Amino acid sequence: MKNRDITLHINGEECRLNVAVNRTLLEVLRDQLGMTETKYGCGTGECGACTVLLEDGKAINSCLTLAATMDGKRITTAAGLSDFGRVNHIQQAFIDEAAIQCGYCTPGMVLKTASLLATNRDPSDEEIRHALEGNICRCTGYEKIVKAVRKAARTMPAPAACGAETCTEVAQ
Amino acid sequence: MNRETIVGTSAPRVDVRDKATGQALYAADIDLPGMLYGKVVRCWEHAHARVVRLDLSAAAKSPGVVRVLGPQDVTANRYNSSVLDLMVSEQMHDMLGDIEDQRIFTDHVKFQGDAICGIIAKSEEAAERAAAKVIVEYEPLPVYLTADASKQPDAIRFTPEKPGNLAFQLPEPMFPGHALGGGDVEAAMRDADLVVEDVFYVPKQKQCQMEPHAYIAKLDSTGRLNCWTSSQMPKLVQAKLAKLFGLPMSLVKVTPTVIGGGFGTRLGLISEPQACAMAMSVPGHAVKLLTLREEDWVISPSRHPGKYWMKIGFRKDGTPLACDARFENYKGGYYLDASGTAFTAGAWLGGMYKFPALRYKGESYFTNQGLTGAYRGYGNPQTNFVLEQLIDRACAQMGADPVEWRKQWHKGVGDDGWCPGVTYPSCALDECLDRGAAAIGWSEKRRQYAHQSGTVRRGVGVAVMNHTSGAMPMLLEHTACTVKLNEDATAEILFACSDMGQGSHTALKQIAAETLGFPFDHVQLSSGTSDVAGFDIGAHASRTIYVGGAAVKKACEDVRRQLLERAGRHLQVSPDELDIRDKRIFVKADPARAIEAETITRAGVYHFIDPATGQAGGEPGQIQGYVSFFAPHNSPPFGASFAEVEVDTETGEVRVLELVNAHDIGRAINPAAVEGQLEGGIQQGLGFVLSEEMYYDGNGRILNNSFTDYKMFGPSDMPKITTILVEDPDPVGPFGAKSVGESGLVSPVGAVANAIFNAIGIQFTEAPITPEKVLKGILEQGVRDYGSIGGAH
Repeated sequence: MKNRDITLHINGEECRLNVAVNRTLLEVLRDQLGMTETKYGCGTGECGACTVLLEDGKAINSCLTLAATMDGKRITTAAGLSDFGRVNHIQQAFIDEAAIQCGYCTPGMVLKTASLLATNRDPSDEEIRHALEGNICRCTGYEKIVKAVRKAARTMPAPAACGAETCTEVAQ
Repeated sequence: MNRETIVGTSAPRVDVRDKATGQALYAADIDLPGMLYGKVVRCWEHAHARVVRLDLSAAAKSPGVVRVLGPQDVTANRYNSSVLDLMVSEQMHDMLGDIEDQRIFTDHVKFQGDAICGIIAKSEEAAERAAAKVIVEYEPLPVYLTADASKQPDAIRFTPEKPGNLAFQLPEPMFPGHALGGGDVEAAMRDADLVVEDVFYVPKQKQCQMEPHAYIAKLDSTGRLNCWTSSQMPKLVQAKLAKLFGLPMSLVKVTPTVIGGGFGTRLGLISEPQACAMAMSVPGHAVKLLTLREEDWVISPSRHPGKYWMKIGFRKDGTPLACDARFENYKGGYYLDASGTAFTAGAWLGGMYKFPALRYKGESYFTNQGLTGAYRGYGNPQTNFVLEQLIDRACAQMGADPVEWRKQWHKGVGDDGWCPGVTYPSCALDECLDRGAAAIGWSEKRRQYAHQSGTVRRGVGVAVMNHTSGAMPMLLEHTACTVKLNEDATAEILFACSDMGQGSHTALKQIAAETLGFPFDHVQLSSGTSDVAGFDIGAHASRTIYVGGAAVKKACEDVRRQLLERAGRHLQVSPDELDIRDKRIFVKADPARAIEAETITRAGVYHFIDPATGQAGGEPGQIQGYVSFFAPHNSPPFGASFAEVEVDTETGEVRVLELVNAHDIGRAINPAAVEGQLEGGIQQGLGFVLSEEMYYDGNGRILNNSFTDYKMFGPSDMPKITTILVEDPDPVGPFGAKSVGESGLVSPVGAVANAIFNAIGIQFTEAPITPEKVLKGILEQGVRDYGSIGGAH
């Protein structure tokens, strides 16, 4: 298997890596970089637990993405939405609305929410539910997650104050 | 009016900041120095076969491989991956006929996914590559997928102890005629004016917890076997592993990890035996064993499917006279949990309505399907699908209103619950029915939907349920809990029961803080590890708050008593005259006379004798509370669900428009967490009745082990949800709480089926009610107005 040198900008940090070309971004994040906030749920792009955010606000399944093809990309994981030990407005909304139970889908859910809010600052319930279709939660029945996304939209910092397009501002 | 200030509030969960940022460590996230990777080689080709040749030589030479392990390389001891055998007395255990029929690696494959051998390598990839080089030759055996097939006289026996492949039936000594119930069913049926009867099929549903099973095991330098697992029952896993490997429990340490969803699938062992066997072959090295999602589907037990026959007789005024039922469930290839669901399905049946005569037979037959075991609800959704539809069939024929009939005939306070002789201490089902009916607009919609025209028809339906809070007296309900006070009067609680994500640790912390009179943040609760935590059965049977909460409360009461005794001596009053608020201990009649709890705890820990005077500063000794608690009851919760559906009579599609879940939970310790259980339960209940089933091909190989092919309700599929918490404090439960963990998924099952009946006048006997079945039903029976059935109006 061939290897390739790549540079990823993960949560604002530059990472120079040598990756096997058959390694997924999920494997590189978890196994090579120890960034276990990105979860393995199915490995086939069906559950969204491995969601990461790209700089254009697009959320992708890292289990379906070969790391070697991501050279130069800026990537945000759930740990990168806020400074260490803190939470951003989306994560805070999930906490406030009791939208987190087992928590395994949560990193993907908050990133998918960030992706939605990057393009739609005031989504309807229907738009929220549609946006979350690729992220499975088996605990909550989605009820409180939808409420959390609504709250995250309401509490979203203004774009000027936000800095980054993906809005990684700390709400507190 | 409740005087509590912490219990009854939606206190923020203790673990959510870690979960929101992804810092919570699930088993797969743990990385230990020098860790090796295990891979279990499984039989994917057959569901029933004998291994005639196993050649590990090529795999052993594969790059990065450290060890290969076949059946001869691990203990020959057998085990039972369920924990039911540890929850009953030895006498009961013998009577139930529990057996140990599983091996770590097998040469007789009894279901697709059975473990054949193991690989240990330096990387996950190296282990996978080596696994592909294992050569296994099989002799295929006949595949039995139903009880009808496996009970044939010429069928191969799954295990010598169980003739006829009958894994379990209700034992004669306890259940005469192998039946639960009482009264003369035959005579009662003869007296009946109306008898409804049918044969149903209930589906094999998968828990689909989001975290695939993962383990780490290590034999450390002291000879102690360590296992990191997300099991729902760490203390019983410790006992099971000790027995399997012939070790004293002191040489087995189980470290519980954050659980990414349980729903019953982690009740007992799954791959802990394989992970530990691997670790024991490479002492000093941690071995991580991960599970692929497609593998997770086949190796962990799912809900018991099977054939469920039921017959109910009534007098024409609606009086129920008798219920006769038989649930023949299809086990997978092994015994685990064979006795559990076969019994409980009938227990919930017996607990629901006032049938003067009842006869329920529960039987489990081995088949070559994937394993079956515990799944949230544990026999209850199966019974709900059958019982609640037959009740509505009878109501339609008698012209009775399904809500009113249920209000008149459900069991309540003083009646026998699911276990004969253990009566209901509380019941607020009437209020659930009233408030649920009002929320969905029952009367008006039933009138409106009795006569409809057009392609798309609507219906509303109701169903009720009873469940349990812990499993006493059938199963052991024991929890030990230790509370210690630090010198600054903060409390640390050790309680071995895991939080599966339902928020139980948060609610337990609320109970502790309330009881102690301490602020919420001054209480810490940990499940510890098996070597430091006391005994606890584990998270099953919706027991954590009802039993565990009562234990935490008692241990905290012990601490509180000690604090008040010391304060009383200081203030020179009787402890009875004192109270604690916000860590300040004061005389109730004269609140100005007070002492800070910290003054007492600090003096207890930092206890000095003044060298000059020889006087002691305060009373010595760190305050600790301890309880070894056995639950005195099982205070069952009740629930009523109401569903409104829309049925497209041309496509067969059923859309659920609204689901109201009204639950009698006694008291909500943390209302947001309780709502979360009911809402999540709805998602799984809707799946059971409308979309979820594991399918097998004729050779017993699963057809839909993926989230694409196995249909769960997604965010856009979910209906409008209304949860109603009916609070009627139970006299036994801690602060009046009953359980809520499992029950939310049960009655949505019957409510949706009955709403479909109301919409198109057809009942469906096979779940899930997929569009194909709806169309077939319409083709065969034609759409009917509910109002035209029998005496319905």
